[in-house]
Amino acid sequence: MRGKRETLVGFGQELRLRSDHAFGIAVILLAIFPVLVQDPYFLHIMIIALVFSVLATSWNLIVGYIGIFSFGHHAFFGIGGYVSALLAMKAGVSPWFGLIIGGLVAAFLSFVIGLPCLRLRAAPYIAIATLAFAEISRMTCLNLVKLTRGEMGLWGIPHFPHITLPGIGIISFAGGVRIPYYYLILIIFIITMVVFHFGLNSHVGLAFRSIRDSQDASESLGINITYYKLLAFITGGFFAGVAGGFYAHYLLIMTPTSVLSIAIMVDIVVVTLLGGLSTFMGPVLGAFLVVLGLEFLRVLEEYRFIAYGILLVVIILFVPSGIGVKVFREKQLLE
Amino acid sequence: MITWKLVAEQILNGLVLGCMYASVASGLTLIWGTMKMINFAHGEFYMLGGYVMYFAIASFGIPSLFSIFLAVMIVFGLGVLIEKVCLHPLLDKPGWDISAFVATLGVGIFFQNFALRVWGERFKSVPYFLEGTLEVLGFRMAYQRMFIFAVTAAVMVGFWIYLKKARFGLGLRATAQDRDAATILGINAKKIYTITFGMSCAMASLAAVLLAPIFLINPWMGSVPLIKGFITVVLGGLGSFGGAILGGILLGIIESISVIIFSSEWKDVVAFIILILVLWLRPSGLFGTKEW
Repeated sequence: MRGKRETLVGFGQELRLRSDHAFGIAVILLAIFPVLVQDPYFLHIMIIALVFSVLATSWNLIVGYIGIFSFGHHAFFGIGGYVSALLAMKAGVSPWFGLIIGGLVAAFLSFVIGLPCLRLRAAPYIAIATLAFAEISRMTCLNLVKLTRGEMGLWGIPHFPHITLPGIGIISFAGGVRIPYYYLILIIFIITMVVFHFGLNSHVGLAFRSIRDSQDASESLGINITYYKLLAFITGGFFAGVAGGFYAHYLLIMTPTSVLSIAIMVDIVVVTLLGGLSTFMGPVLGAFLVVLGLEFLRVLEEYRFIAYGILLVVIILFVPSGIGVKVFREKQLLE
Repeated sequence: MITWKLVAEQILNGLVLGCMYASVASGLTLIWGTMKMINFAHGEFYMLGGYVMYFAIASFGIPSLFSIFLAVMIVFGLGVLIEKVCLHPLLDKPGWDISAFVATLGVGIFFQNFALRVWGERFKSVPYFLEGTLEVLGFRMAYQRMFIFAVTAAVMVGFWIYLKKARFGLGLRATAQDRDAATILGINAKKIYTITFGMSCAMASLAAVLLAPIFLINPWMGSVPLIKGFITVVLGGLGSFGGAILGGILLGIIESISVIIFSSEWKDVVAFIILILVLWLRPSGLFGTKEW
């Protein structure tokens, strides 16, 4: 019984799409999507799916590649959003810089919470430590009413100022337009995936995977575990923070519950695991399946989330290692 | 003004709260110890226990004490059913720790929204089991709280003895230590898993029904005990039953006392900072297990 699955994994490998090819195809399709569909509602759903792709990919780096079961990733999303929004509102910093600063602050805090996690190994301990950190950030945002307005929500967040691109002209982000935002998040998504791809196919990726597979063995081979673990935390935190900053300047309103609640974390987990943990394109596929799937389930009205729960269990029962594993073939490192 | 009497009363209140945490956490630790999985639907089984109790009393007029028993048994059955349907097929397949976690997430989402849609979002209350308060040496303790303390303590001690002495308890601990060796010696590990899962759900349900008169019943009532239960488990040392009980009582008392010292909105922040520090300085939890 135990070994049966592993031998089946190799079956049909050749029929599957190589994941980096799949990424190329996905980028082309996503780039021409707004030419075909201009419906603002549809574009909004696609934007949310791309935000979740970035979030899930950054979480996948920490959990799927280095094997640290972080359960407080939504904190970096929320912190990136709040930092960027507050800088723009209170200090007049341009949201373009805010996006980067939000990411950097999230990366720094990710480093801070990474420190106690270095000593922990069992998944539940790390999950609790990181979740505790996320709850601290949520309650801080909730309690600092003077700064963040608490649960009443931070509204009136400025949108991105217009930019001028040679050949295209002035691009304005004002007045609820969707297409510029769509391309902006697409660019963030592409940068994330490219960094992810090159990082994981270098010696850093090898070190990550060896730490995941056996921490003791990697340590004995001279891999600096502290360095690589903190590197994973910083990178993952940075991209989640940038995604949060984008989200803040896109929706223009934020409450601690909307960006820092544990529900966001549950969504990230579902998206990643459904798509396939430790796979390059799995979390992206998962993000589109879950976000679009939840929209289709709207026909069920208030019974939507009951169906969502059942579907989740059914999918995991039939494809326990994620759908992405059945669709994509990972590029072999030592090919 | 902090008086000794206030502190003592808060400690007694903390003991009652700690009993709830211990009861929820012992279920979580039991599942982790034997099945090596995180049950994220644990809070929902807690909630279901509360609802079964409410309907037993409000719709069928069953006496309180008997409906406690009924709620625990029904949730036990439900736990066994969920384990059979949703977790059993995942056993022995690669990625068990993660697939089981997602399956329980799905179960949790299902039950929470089921409760919300079918039973509504209005908070429901059940009557106190016992009225009146006891006054000894100037301390006032409601009978209700003493009852909660007595029942949980009795169940915990009973369960402890059961784990140490009874045949099933021995089998459970053997499976937790080494599943393959236990199977060779004729223990049906899968059956142990199923019953352990049911028992753990029953523990959560017990905590819920005892506290139902104090905290109201609603679809979201499981989320706070779930997080507090996880904290307790980590404080006490994962997989350790004694650690879960001591950790629960400790957490209950710390929380009750910190209400006096810190303002209530920052109290949880302080608790979480303490938790992170404990994990940093003593990764094996306060009472230490082999694994962290």
